Amino acid sequence: MGPPHPPLARAVALEHVSRQFSGYTAVEDISFDVAAGHFVSLVGPSGCGKSTVLNIIAGLLAPSAGVVKVFEQPLAGINRRASYMFQDEALLPWKTVLGNIQLGLTFRGRVGPDALDQARAWIDRVGLTGFADRYPSQLSGGMRKRVAMAQAWIVQPDLILMDEPFGALDVHTRLRMESEILGIWGESQSTVVFVTHDLEEAISLSDEVLLLSAGPGSRVVGRYDVDLPRPRDLMDIKTEPRFHELFRGIWSDLRQEVLKSHERSA
Amino acid sequence: MSAARSRHLRTVAGQFALGIGALLLWEWGSRSGVLDKFFFSRPSDVMARVWQWIATGSIWGHLSTTFVEAALSLAIGGACGVVAGFVLARVPLLAALLDPYIRIANALPRVVLAPVFLLWFGLGIWSKVALGVTVVFFVVFFNTYRGVRDVDRVILDNARMLGASERQLIVHVLVPSALTWIFSSLHVSVGLAIIAVVVAEYMGAARGIGYLIAQAEGVFDTTGVFAGVTVLALGVLLVGSGVNRLERRLLGWKQARTGSGSAELV
Repeated sequence: MGPPHPPLARAVALEHVSRQFSGYTAVEDISFDVAAGHFVSLVGPSGCGKSTVLNIIAGLLAPSAGVVKVFEQPLAGINRRASYMFQDEALLPWKTVLGNIQLGLTFRGRVGPDALDQARAWIDRVGLTGFADRYPSQLSGGMRKRVAMAQAWIVQPDLILMDEPFGALDVHTRLRMESEILGIWGESQSTVVFVTHDLEEAISLSDEVLLLSAGPGSRVVGRYDVDLPRPRDLMDIKTEPRFHELFRGIWSDLRQEVLKSHERSA
Repeated sequence: MSAARSRHLRTVAGQFALGIGALLLWEWGSRSGVLDKFFFSRPSDVMARVWQWIATGSIWGHLSTTFVEAALSLAIGGACGVVAGFVLARVPLLAALLDPYIRIANALPRVVLAPVFLLWFGLGIWSKVALGVTVVFFVVFFNTYRGVRDVDRVILDNARMLGASERQLIVHVLVPSALTWIFSSLHVSVGLAIIAVVVAEYMGAARGIGYLIAQAEGVFDTTGVFAGVTVLALGVLLVGSGVNRLERRLLGWKQARTGSGSAELV
């Protein structure tokens, strides 16, 4: 793990970042900060460039203009301090659960009994005890997400990027996975940037919600603090009055962007 | 379970009945004079000939020659195909330059090269191996190329985010992906290798099943031709089931595509 950061240091800072794809401007002149240790969600209508922003922070996409700083260092190439949980299947199908979870350690040259113990501990932690030797194709969608979760977290990254990681799961599995993510994050000092189109999910998990405008050329149009106390019980949080207040406040803005995006795509 | 089992037994019994029925029809046809024995021989004679070859041991030399040639074709053609596929997939410029020539070479019916190889490499096994190599090379080459190029983008990104170096990407992601394609084309490669060497033997050789068939044909010995074909078919069937077993072992992570896969035998 990296050195401890003073509270509210900037884990990520985007400064006037734009990105074009062959003539199409996905995001334009975006600027925002993510405070270290915070759980921040990016929400916005579909096609607003949320994933583009996340890929730029990951270093998988280079911005066409602007600067990305990660813990105050300008980012060039892959973001070495970040793990990424993808929306799609990203496990290596030819590696077992154990092999997949160990992957980040293997790539860092940490092999041997120590790494193995650590991987086994993560298997237990994400509730996959007894499945170490299975291949991804032999697991359910929820179990594969658990593997992906352990895979991303085992390297103890300073920053975790998640792109609608639970979008494909059924409602109940999703709720459980969200609780587990909060549990693991609560015990770590990692910063999370979470992309979703589901405002309820964003509010119930985050410290802060950033609203992106409808694409093309989307930008940050709103920034909302979520002052719900932690630890949170995701089963009950959606019935709390404060949750509803926050939801109504953000939704009135998000709604406009969704309508705009419908008009543009119509 | 037992219902499925009895259905399976009934299928096998049906398969046997079908084969034996066809053989009996053939036997009856040639005995009753419907089929001319000179052109069609008869199953009992063919069996007797095969048995005679086995009993005198004269067949083993031919059979082993053919399969050694096929194995050498597979090894040499496979190794060249893997290397070429990998290099071209990683060096797009080279792939673009060579593209038309690879297409031309692959479009060429390889059989016409058999006489050329006969001139170059003589009557021994190497002229057969040469033809086999030209056939196997392209199958393995295209599959390797495709396997390396078509690696799932998300899986590559995930490995990169987990800290994989270029070399680790090759070892942990690109090679296994290519191996999947190569092994799933192994049936085709094996079948084509055997066909190629038999054709080459047929055109000119001193040993081998193809030579045996050509000899028999030269003296209008249809029984000998069919006996040669029978031996070859049995040998291929045996090799095919070996390939099946190998594939199941190496591609176990693919969630055993249940079903015997007998339809795709060579």
